[in-house]
Amino acid sequence: MKNGFRQSMAWLHTWSGLVVGWVLFAVFLTGSVSYFRPEISLWMRPELHDAAAGTRAAEMIIAGMQRRAPDAPSWIILMPSARNPVADVFWREEGPNASRRGFQQVQLDPRTGEGLAARATAGGDFFYAFHFQLFGLPIPLARWIVSVCAMFMLVAIVSGIVTHRRIFADFFTFRPRKGQRSWLDGHAALATLALPYHLMITYTGLITLIALTMPWPILTNFQGDRTAYIAAVFGINERAPRSGRTAPLTPVGPLVAEATARWGGGTIGRILVTNPGDAAATITFQQQDGDRLSVSRRTITFNGVTGAVIATREPEGPADATRGVMYGLHVGRFGGGVMRALFFVSALMGSAMVATGAILWAVKRRQKAGGGAGARLVEILNVGTIAGLPAAMAVYLLANRLLPPGMAGRAAWEVYCFFIAWLLMLLHPLLRSHRRAWQEQLWAGALLLLAVPVVNALTTHSHLGMTLPAGRWDIAGVDLACLGFAVLLGCSAWMVRHPATATPRRRTAQAVAAE
Amino acid sequence: MTVLSFALAYIGFSTLCVAMERHHGEVFGTRRIPPRRQITLRVAGWLLLAASFPVVITQWGWSFGPVAWCGMLTLAALPIVLLLPWRPRLVLWLAPAACMLGILAAWG
Repeated sequence: MKNGFRQSMAWLHTWSGLVVGWVLFAVFLTGSVSYFRPEISLWMRPELHDAAAGTRAAEMIIAGMQRRAPDAPSWIILMPSARNPVADVFWREEGPNASRRGFQQVQLDPRTGEGLAARATAGGDFFYAFHFQLFGLPIPLARWIVSVCAMFMLVAIVSGIVTHRRIFADFFTFRPRKGQRSWLDGHAALATLALPYHLMITYTGLITLIALTMPWPILTNFQGDRTAYIAAVFGINERAPRSGRTAPLTPVGPLVAEATARWGGGTIGRILVTNPGDAAATITFQQQDGDRLSVSRRTITFNGVTGAVIATREPEGPADATRGVMYGLHVGRFGGGVMRALFFVSALMGSAMVATGAILWAVKRRQKAGGGAGARLVEILNVGTIAGLPAAMAVYLLANRLLPPGMAGRAAWEVYCFFIAWLLMLLHPLLRSHRRAWQEQLWAGALLLLAVPVVNALTTHSHLGMTLPAGRWDIAGVDLACLGFAVLLGCSAWMVRHPATATPRRRTAQAVAAE
Repeated sequence: MTVLSFALAYIGFSTLCVAMERHHGEVFGTRRIPPRRQITLRVAGWLLLAASFPVVITQWGWSFGPVAWCGMLTLAALPIVLLLPWRPRLVLWLAPAACMLGILAAWG
């Protein structure tokens, strides 16, 4: 019976992993780089590299917004932080630059409140958004797809633990250059070594989308009123209607002092101003994440005219704390650079685990049955996703440097370049033999990644020759990571070119001949 | 402190690793481990892994610490798995090197 259970778990593991493997790989890899979302966004806006956070940033930015968009119904201000020297501001306004949902976005200099002329780009936000809502699909549908894939992932992890009966005995085992055996070893090692991370990230990932996938508790507790739920959880209240009477906005300096005093020193992450210039104005401060593990939001709302405190929201109650910790663990904004590096290493191991699993399936199938239409499809998708996606991500960074800064629809075109490159990578293996396809795509990926720091050096002043001596690791890190991945893909390509001298099948043939 | 906790976890894992017959063979050339030495290695390995925990906690505190410890264990075990098939002896030599670095970093 035990044997039967293991076998059924092995079956479950194989198929739950394979069916969604490619989506999972894309989610894992784009999610991994999203730990460095602010750094990538900054790298992709070289015009902002000299910006620096100033004192009295909140006052300067509010003053800047009063000059820029005095009549907007509300302003959302993401304050500068240690990882992002400028303020990102959003407001609703009709116009040619407005996003799909009618938002204008600019970067403001926190020293002056003036706009900074950076090239239009989605920056690291593209990878971040892609990793949980893909692209081009209606957002709820895409999030459902990712949630379902994450559920499969959880099933695959648990059934994988059951299947892998020698977790401790094989803990350090990796036997390279032995065909299927090596892929199995590698897959198991990547899974085992970072198992706490894999379980954590998959489970917390599901939790972050739980309001969508399991809405019933919210619908029941808030009588179907989602706005009330959002107000309770995020401390964002529905905007009061404009009164129609103009009234000047109160100076924000004292409000900042009041908020930091109440929080015992935390910094302000976001400012939400509603009805600026109206008697019904409000100003809400939200505490910066990264000071604590939990991202349960602390907010404080002031009357925008008198400066009196209207409402505060403190994280409270076990449900709120749990949600905050789950989300905090998933996004990993706490603890600084070393912690982020640890998360990144584990996340890359997760991506590699998914990749080796998918490759293992194809290798096994080819050895057993010599392939077939299904196996061929898996092989094509493997090459186009595992080798193709990193190449496409490099193309996205290259497009950022090479598309003309003033081009219409520039930000969108960077994203299109990414998808065109990826589509080509998915089509290319149709025309080539499997081994050649791997080899060519891995080399292509290595060269494209290598090109990123080179093109960066040719087109900007923020290249490694400048950023390394200046100690700007936030910017240099992107170039260095590209170089590192280029080496990794290059080595993989070399290993595909020089396959194992004795594959298991050949060895058995030799053994048979010897007897 | 980061280096010290990494060093402790690395030495702990490599000790546990050479306490296993297959890896003992890869590193020392013989799979036979005297039983008492095997037990000593195992106990020492687990103790070293355990010792890295309080170091991480002192640095990170109780809220970030356990998370950082999991990540640190992953990071410490990875080089062993990658070195064993190609440079098994290096696994051994890295241990005193990591130890020295860890102590230097903790003092310095």
